[in-house]
Amino acid sequence: MVSDDWATCEESGSRPQYRGPMAAPGLRAQMDSLLLQLLRDLEELEAKRAALNARVEEGWFSLSKARYAMGAKSVGPLQYASRMEPQVCVYTSEAQDGLQKVWVVRASAQTPEEVGPCEAALRRRKGLSRTPEPESSPAPRDPLNWFGILVPHSLRHAQASFREGLQLAADMASLQIRIDWGRSQLGGLQEKLKQLEPQSA
Amino acid sequence: MLEGAEFYFNVDHGYLEGLVRGCKASLLTQQDYINLVQCETLEDVKIHLQTTDYGNFLANETNPLTVSKIDMEMRKKLCREFEYFRNHSLEPLSTFFTYMTCSYMIDNVILLMNGALQKKSVKEILAKCHPLGRFTEMEAVNIAETPSDLFNAVLVETPLAPFFQDCMSENTLDELNIELLRNKLYKSYLEAFYKFCKNHGDVTAEIMCPILEFEADRRAFIITLNSFGTELSKDDRETLYPTCGKLYPEGLRLLAQAEDFDQMRRVAEHYGVYKPLFEAVGDGSGGKTLEDVFYEHEVQMNVLAFNRQFHYGVFYAYTKLKEQEMRNIVWIAECISQRHRTKINSYIPI
Repeated sequence: MVSDDWATCEESGSRPQYRGPMAAPGLRAQMDSLLLQLLRDLEELEAKRAALNARVEEGWFSLSKARYAMGAKSVGPLQYASRMEPQVCVYTSEAQDGLQKVWVVRASAQTPEEVGPCEAALRRRKGLSRTPEPESSPAPRDPLNWFGILVPHSLRHAQASFREGLQLAADMASLQIRIDWGRSQLGGLQEKLKQLEPQSA
Repeated sequence: MLEGAEFYFNVDHGYLEGLVRGCKASLLTQQDYINLVQCETLEDVKIHLQTTDYGNFLANETNPLTVSKIDMEMRKKLCREFEYFRNHSLEPLSTFFTYMTCSYMIDNVILLMNGALQKKSVKEILAKCHPLGRFTEMEAVNIAETPSDLFNAVLVETPLAPFFQDCMSENTLDELNIELLRNKLYKSYLEAFYKFCKNHGDVTAEIMCPILEFEADRRAFIITLNSFGTELSKDDRETLYPTCGKLYPEGLRLLAQAEDFDQMRRVAEHYGVYKPLFEAVGDGSGGKTLEDVFYEHEVQMNVLAFNRQFHYGVFYAYTKLKEQEMRNIVWIAECISQRHRTKINSYIPI
């Protein structure tokens, strides 16, 4: 047996531990699978990012088309209030592997007893309500109605694009959390490997 | 009214007709549009516009240049020309001009009321109102709660007063009611304008009445199209249709019952003018929308108005063509600033 296959008594405390080359392949296999998972996640993230960019671009372009049809002043910052309430909430929760998962929920689906952090999501929000609301809010009004009841189809298109983009953004956030965790795991495993093979090669 | 406008028209209105024809000659040409489409940034657009009749209209704008600034400056220029025409006009051309400004006034009133609903400051909205639709009582519009209030307190002295007959109600003004108010006002306005032109007779009636009939029918189609899937009932919808067009009365009744685009298309196929228009509409996101097709038809009619002399339609046609030009430039500018050049050629050349 080579001396570095066994930890010396001073290093490991009372009992010598076997940290020979047999442990390294297991570690390497673990690293490989982690790396592959990481690369798969990265690819998915890139695809989702491209899709999000496409949706947002499409949304803004549909807004321009709506401006062409309705007149430039009818689709702009004049139409919405400066304070809005969100229609969509972002929830996070712990999944089985201890990672946080992020998703968006429409406000109408939420019950007052829902626990969990609820931050306001960015996009479409409902306008100011006239009367003070009781505990359970009524069906939130569609932001599309800020621009009038009879809106052109390009505006509806824009709303649909932005809504899809929201979902994609939530997925991307979950993926990003997974990727960060994967990277830190990989870093830890690489450290361990380095400690196991100080004299090899 | 005596036939033979060519004998009497130039006495009162000859100078202005000459002026408006000169203005029409300085609209952007196809070559100008080709140059604009090739621009990379909004600064290039500004430079290209300097070589046209627009001149240095953006010279005082501070950086950065935005599409809405361009739009506002173009609108101010149109307003200056229009005010010049109006200040030099005599009756009945002055009444004609007043009728033309009523549509912008209606838009401004609705903008102000919407702003009041969203608790915006009056100053902010006044800055964005259409300059052609300015009237003195504008600042007071936001205090009204119901249409009757609006009429009695604010608008009774303005040219919009006669259009309020069908709109008086005690319902508070929320989004649905504001939209209904807008469409009902516009319907009354269009019908009154049509009657004015028809009573005037002569070449003006021959030119303006078809244009206004098309406008009425266009509104009926667009209201129907946009109301699919909304909470607007069919009866409500029918009350919003202007009745001075070709579709009245059978077409409007059929249109009120339509529930999707294909049913609308079948109604349009009964009318020789509208059948080819609907056939030109592309499917989905690829081809032209109905609004594009209508804008094109409007441009054709307005250009043809300049083929006859001695009528007031040239002023209306010039204003509408200028507005289409502004829409084109804003569209090209938006495509450039969003770097989305695939549909940049969807403007309508004049």
